[in-house]
Amino acid sequence: MNEVQQHHQRVDRRRILVVEPSAEDAKTIEQALSRTHPHLRLEFASREDGIAERLLAAPTLPGLVLLNVHLPEHQGHAVLRAIRSHPHLSEVTVVVFTPSTSPTEVDSCYQAGADSYVYKPVNFALFRTALKGAIDYWQDSASRIRGSLDGSCPTPR
Amino acid sequence: MQPETEVTNCGTSAARWSEVLHELWSAADRAEDVTALAGRLYTVLAEFPGVLTVVGTRWHGGQLRYMRGLRTADSPPALLDTDQEGCAEAAARAPGSGTRVREHDTADLAAGWPEAELLRAVGAKRVVECVFALDAGDWASLVIGLVSAEPADPALSLRLRQASEVVATCNRRIVTQREHERRQVHDAFLAEASLQMDASLDVEETLQRVARLAVPAVAEGCLLHLRQGPRLVPVASAHIAADRQSWLADTASGDAWLTQVLRRSVEGEGGLILSGKALVGGPLGAKAAGVGTSVRVLSVNPLRARGRVLGTLTFLFHHEDASTQMPRFLADLANRAALAIDTSTLYEQRRQHVVSLQRHLLPAELPHSPGLVLSSAYEVADDSLDVGGDFYDAIPGPSGRIALLIGDVCGRGAEAAALTGLARHTLRTLLEDGSPGAHTLVRLNQALHRERARRFVTALVVTLVPEGDGFRAEVANAGHPPPLVRRASSRVERVECGGLLLGVQSSAAYTSVSVDLGPGDSLVLFTDGLTEARARDGRFFEDLLPGAVAREGAGDPRWLAGRLVHAGVDFRVSGEDDVAVLAAFVKEVR
Repeated sequence: MNEVQQHHQRVDRRRILVVEPSAEDAKTIEQALSRTHPHLRLEFASREDGIAERLLAAPTLPGLVLLNVHLPEHQGHAVLRAIRSHPHLSEVTVVVFTPSTSPTEVDSCYQAGADSYVYKPVNFALFRTALKGAIDYWQDSASRIRGSLDGSCPTPR
Repeated sequence: MQPETEVTNCGTSAARWSEVLHELWSAADRAEDVTALAGRLYTVLAEFPGVLTVVGTRWHGGQLRYMRGLRTADSPPALLDTDQEGCAEAAARAPGSGTRVREHDTADLAAGWPEAELLRAVGAKRVVECVFALDAGDWASLVIGLVSAEPADPALSLRLRQASEVVATCNRRIVTQREHERRQVHDAFLAEASLQMDASLDVEETLQRVARLAVPAVAEGCLLHLRQGPRLVPVASAHIAADRQSWLADTASGDAWLTQVLRRSVEGEGGLILSGKALVGGPLGAKAAGVGTSVRVLSVNPLRARGRVLGTLTFLFHHEDASTQMPRFLADLANRAALAIDTSTLYEQRRQHVVSLQRHLLPAELPHSPGLVLSSAYEVADDSLDVGGDFYDAIPGPSGRIALLIGDVCGRGAEAAALTGLARHTLRTLLEDGSPGAHTLVRLNQALHRERARRFVTALVVTLVPEGDGFRAEVANAGHPPPLVRRASSRVERVECGGLLLGVQSSAAYTSVSVDLGPGDSLVLFTDGLTEARARDGRFFEDLLPGAVAREGAGDPRWLAGRLVHAGVDFRVSGEDDVAVLAAFVKEVR
């Protein structure tokens, strides 16, 4: 079994790690996701340093990291680059969210290795819809990959 | 059959069922998804004596959305999803508008019964089927597989009917709630999109922002095309997945099938929503090869403003039902985007007209003057749609003389432009005739009163007369910021001169002051747009101007005016006024 296969087994698609230093915003995200995806297990990190090391040290990896990239002093980008610098974390999907729609900011996040870019609007319902769209996409995508690997096509209900 | 009160260990008594039903109604009132009721509902139905399994299905016509069955062999019984195809015959089982309960022998279940295999596998001899209508053409079934081939207890049919009422009511509430939430989200989205569109007058950047806002809140992918002549050119694309972004951009620019679809929308068909077979032949849809195979629905809306189609707004949806509930929203969004594009385009056209007209109010080029290097620069106010009133000119005279003038008409717009023309040409004509600077100001003041001008004008006229190896400057001022002289030593002096604004008092008199300019000296004339340039912290450029003149005067004198204008523009937080600078440098070797 090669390294990639070993790592594949450690990814738990039902886990999501939310990197959000603001307790209030973290609460908002928890409210949104607990309603749209009650079957997912949410974990929160309020400090952005050492995220990649923390992921590597855990027995399983979350399927998705939801990262507030709009952190002071470009720390969000640093977290993104740190995660993407570890080959063992390549199967972790990183969805960044930010209150900016600037094309420059989008390009910069994609170059740093983000899998999805979600605009965070002020309106809660709209933000919840956007987060749901991103998580649904990556959950469906993971299901399709699993389906093609084992010959079936599981569809979570 | 034993009375229900005696089946406490293997079934549910009438009293217990009543409690369970109450519990289900409470859960139905809170559930976010109707399937959340399934576990409890199936389990409690399976507790009825003689029940082997419970199987539920949800349909849209003859299309099976999902099927799930209870495996009672497990402890506790497990609810399993199964993958089964629907079939057209199943439509015959649809209940119409109400609820229907029937019994069948398992052996009789044929086409249209994807549950049959599962029911036979657990050994069910007979089934009780309850079919009931849901929303928007959907219907559902609850089927109970029985161990006996005998007719079922009527109480079981009643429970099935009651359970179906709970499910149907729960579904109705959720559908209504979701529709309400969807409207709220759409309203919020349109508000956000409008803010984004109002924030910038750069069309392409605005559309890129709108596409990014829409993904994934509206769809998995978004494209915006604009008409350029007969062509539709992609200007923005956004995909939920970073690694699909380039595929989407390539599809937007080079796919012939998509181009045809966009053209259909633009050329009269209006809003299009394509799915299923309508996607065949293109790069999208279940039958397509490659990345586009996940796309289920494509929507295209024309961007129409003031009767013209400006382009198209396209969305790619990965779920069948995503787009069908929002045609009005998509049309609203397209209309708002079209209006924003139209406004931006008109703005840009008008601004170009302003810049062009402004240039016509200024000299095309400065004259050549022996012994002097002249430079000028002009910066139109940011975002201004009106012609400003700054003007300058340089008029050569006999014997190496040259007159420089600079001025500013209060305000902007057509009237200011007319006065600018009057002021500049009056002064120029008089100076060409050799009139002294102070005299030209008197004559211009009289002309403004004669024309009943309602705006004030400031002006500064400098006549440079060769003297020795330099020039003598005769400076006449009518309410204009005094010029600065930068000596060859870098020292900067202000030329103290003043006079009434033009157009205030018909009898105003003007005098001039003299300043000697030696080789290497520079004279700098400017309008108040330079001195009143304001930084974010509230400071004015006026205090920094002498330093800037000292510094910039050390460089190539051909670009001195341009460097000073740039210094002022870089300093200010916003450019609310035009800036004009006219500079003369005395050559060191004549």
